[in-house]
Amino acid sequence: MAIDLDRCTGCEACVAACHAENNLPLSDPAEAEKGRAFHWIRVDRYYEGEFPDIRVKHIPVLCQQCEDAPCEPVCPTYATYHNSEGLNVQIYNRCIGTRYCGNNCPYSVRFFNWFAPEWPQPLELQHNPDVSIRPGGVMEKCTFCIQRIQRAKRDAKADGRAVADGEVQPACVQSCPAEAITFGDLNDPESKVSSLAASGRATRLLEDLGTKPKVFYLQRAK
Amino acid sequence: MDTAVATRADNLRATLWRPLTGASRAYIAALALTFLLGAWGLACWGYQIFRGIGVAGIRRPTMWGFYLVNFVFWIGISHAGTLISAILRLTDAGWRKPVTRIAEAITVFALMIGAMFPIIHLGRPLVFFWLIPYPNSRLLWPNFRSPLLWDLTAIVTYLSGSIIYLYLPMIPDLAELAQHSTGWRERFYRLLSIGWTGSDRQWHALERAMHRMAGMILAVAVSVHTVVAWDFAMAVAPLWHSTIFGPYFVAGAIFSGIAALLVVLSIIRRLLHLEAYVLPVHFDNLGKLLFLMSLLWFYFTVAENLTTWYGNSPAEMNVFGSRVRGPFAPYFWVMICCNFVLPFLLLSSRRMRTIRNVTIAAFTVLIGMWLERYLIILPTLSYPRLAAATGFYEPTWVEISITASTFAAMVMFYLIFCKLFPAIAVWEYKNGSHR
Amino acid sequence: MVLTADFADAQSVASAIRALKARGYGADEIDVFSTAPIQEAQALLERPSRMSLVAITSAVVFCLSAIAFVHYTQHDYRIVTGGMPIFSWWSTGVIFYEFTMFGSLTATFVMFLLESGLLQRGRAIPAPRLEEGRIYLRLICQAGDAVPAAEYLYEAGAAKVDEIEERP
Repeated sequence: MAIDLDRCTGCEACVAACHAENNLPLSDPAEAEKGRAFHWIRVDRYYEGEFPDIRVKHIPVLCQQCEDAPCEPVCPTYATYHNSEGLNVQIYNRCIGTRYCGNNCPYSVRFFNWFAPEWPQPLELQHNPDVSIRPGGVMEKCTFCIQRIQRAKRDAKADGRAVADGEVQPACVQSCPAEAITFGDLNDPESKVSSLAASGRATRLLEDLGTKPKVFYLQRAK
Repeated sequence: MDTAVATRADNLRATLWRPLTGASRAYIAALALTFLLGAWGLACWGYQIFRGIGVAGIRRPTMWGFYLVNFVFWIGISHAGTLISAILRLTDAGWRKPVTRIAEAITVFALMIGAMFPIIHLGRPLVFFWLIPYPNSRLLWPNFRSPLLWDLTAIVTYLSGSIIYLYLPMIPDLAELAQHSTGWRERFYRLLSIGWTGSDRQWHALERAMHRMAGMILAVAVSVHTVVAWDFAMAVAPLWHSTIFGPYFVAGAIFSGIAALLVVLSIIRRLLHLEAYVLPVHFDNLGKLLFLMSLLWFYFTVAENLTTWYGNSPAEMNVFGSRVRGPFAPYFWVMICCNFVLPFLLLSSRRMRTIRNVTIAAFTVLIGMWLERYLIILPTLSYPRLAAATGFYEPTWVEISITASTFAAMVMFYLIFCKLFPAIAVWEYKNGSHR
Repeated sequence: MVLTADFADAQSVASAIRALKARGYGADEIDVFSTAPIQEAQALLERPSRMSLVAITSAVVFCLSAIAFVHYTQHDYRIVTGGMPIFSWWSTGVIFYEFTMFGSLTATFVMFLLESGLLQRGRAIPAPRLEEGRIYLRLICQAGDAVPAAEYLYEAGAAKVDEIEERP
């Protein structure tokens, strides 16, 4: 995934779309006050400078699907592991809720269901049938909308072709009005995301930790 | 054996066996109170399981809170028995003899309590048994690479070893008690003493086994707290990923273990009228050990903090600053006082090491060590690498209740233990008493 | 024939044992009963022990079993590890260590139970009831040798020598 920070306006449409697509529990300001806010993708705002020369940087942070994820070796039940496509996968059934993975994630992208989630009526009618409802006591995080990836692969297989570049669009990619987020196959050298990742503007978060994240942030080199 | 020793031993037995029969009103009141507090703690835990772990104050990013602090604290306390029994047994220090059983009992109970906390803090505690390797329909074994599994194996090993280590030297005493008891007590002690007759073959085997187990249990104890330390050190979180954590935690565990032993010892001495057997020299020696561990702890703390501060790495300085100058500073400086300054003042000279001073120092060390665990876990979690996720932890009544109830449970276990078993191993005491 | 002799101190027990050994009795027939271990008696009566050997063997066996178990379980369900080794010595070394120690601890305890004879069921030779301050020596001898052996015991300082029948 490549996120263009120079395009991001901080509108948080991606956040809302992710909530809708993935059956996320609701967060309200009271919850956020208690540190229980729940956003698989969140927009971090960093302010630089003094008024009137303030610059704001909006950074959408989501699970970086690290190649060498620190969350994976520490899960005692293999609830988080690496699948063969390179995704860091969370298996809700296996999770017993030790939360070690959440502590070990340097990007703080993991969220825990402190209670079994509830939606006030009629919001439960809005749930996405492709995505499971998680019980209380399990950890979850951005999955790169794995349900959309699976659907695209199924459709492609039914048609007897390979998945085209840009065919899979996670909810955040689809909803961004500035088209700041690009999603694709990093293994495919022809894909748009590969060329963006190879560009001179590509950086990664906390790269020196050696986690090999798969989300590239594009920003003007200063 | 000459008659003087025999008379002394008779007095010892009379003193030690008096608490085993009958129960004063104060005892029953204490037992009832601690039982109620313990039951309240269990009720809170039940409520937590029913409602969800959200009733605790943990949140993102501080996903570990009081429960993990208590876990590390109690496992640390459990090193009391190991130090006194094992190390002093191996070095043949005679003065340990009156205190070994008290220490070993602390170890077993502290371990039992400490081992509950990994289950209490789980999000889905009812499936905690998934951590145990057994063939199952999930087609899945637990992940042995995870430090939490290392925790499990280490604690199970240490718990079984400690129970054996507590039980073995009790067998001769149990046999003697069976001889002098009637009714259900006689059946109980006879069952537990598994046919001990006091033959030299049995003594030989017992002493051999104790000597070997002392070395083994020491090796296990060091590994247990190292493994608990590695729960944190193996994470990449700032200030956790430190190589010193293994030795730091082991030293801290021995430190808090001696402190717990001193507190329990002075209470037991007073309540069970053991003033003739647990002497000021014991408190002096244990006080010296406490002082030594305080210096060692301080050395580790200085080494850890100095290298962090000098290295000036931004993520780590964030956490460091919060501990020394920021929101956690009051706790940090209280901890330094409790763990180093007060023990230094109270324990550094022989004249200061009275029973009262040593006990006060031990009590402050217990407070300081609990704070130390808190300060290891919380600041790092509160200040993650991506600063936008910073957040602070506030314990709720559930966590505070459960924490308090574990202390009550410890007291309750100890009350029951002292009612059933003599607090001093008579045969060890007779066998070359205090030096 | 089982004799029990009642002594007041360790030195007389030791001289009794020496006398009996000179007469040809060995550690299998002589037992000393007391409420605390008697160094002098233990020095004179050899009780060979296999405790260390069994403990070390058990430790090795448990260690190898742990390695085999972890190896098997980590290959049984092949999680995609993304290039990291499926079975990693260093990551699971602690497990092996703890199992090793567990093996030696339990072996020591079991050997204690076996070598002390505590787990023996059935025919147990009767043992004297212990009194504080007294040491007892139990001798298993032929019926014909009972009287001379008793004399030796009295000579060494026994206060009382009893004959007890072995329980049928």
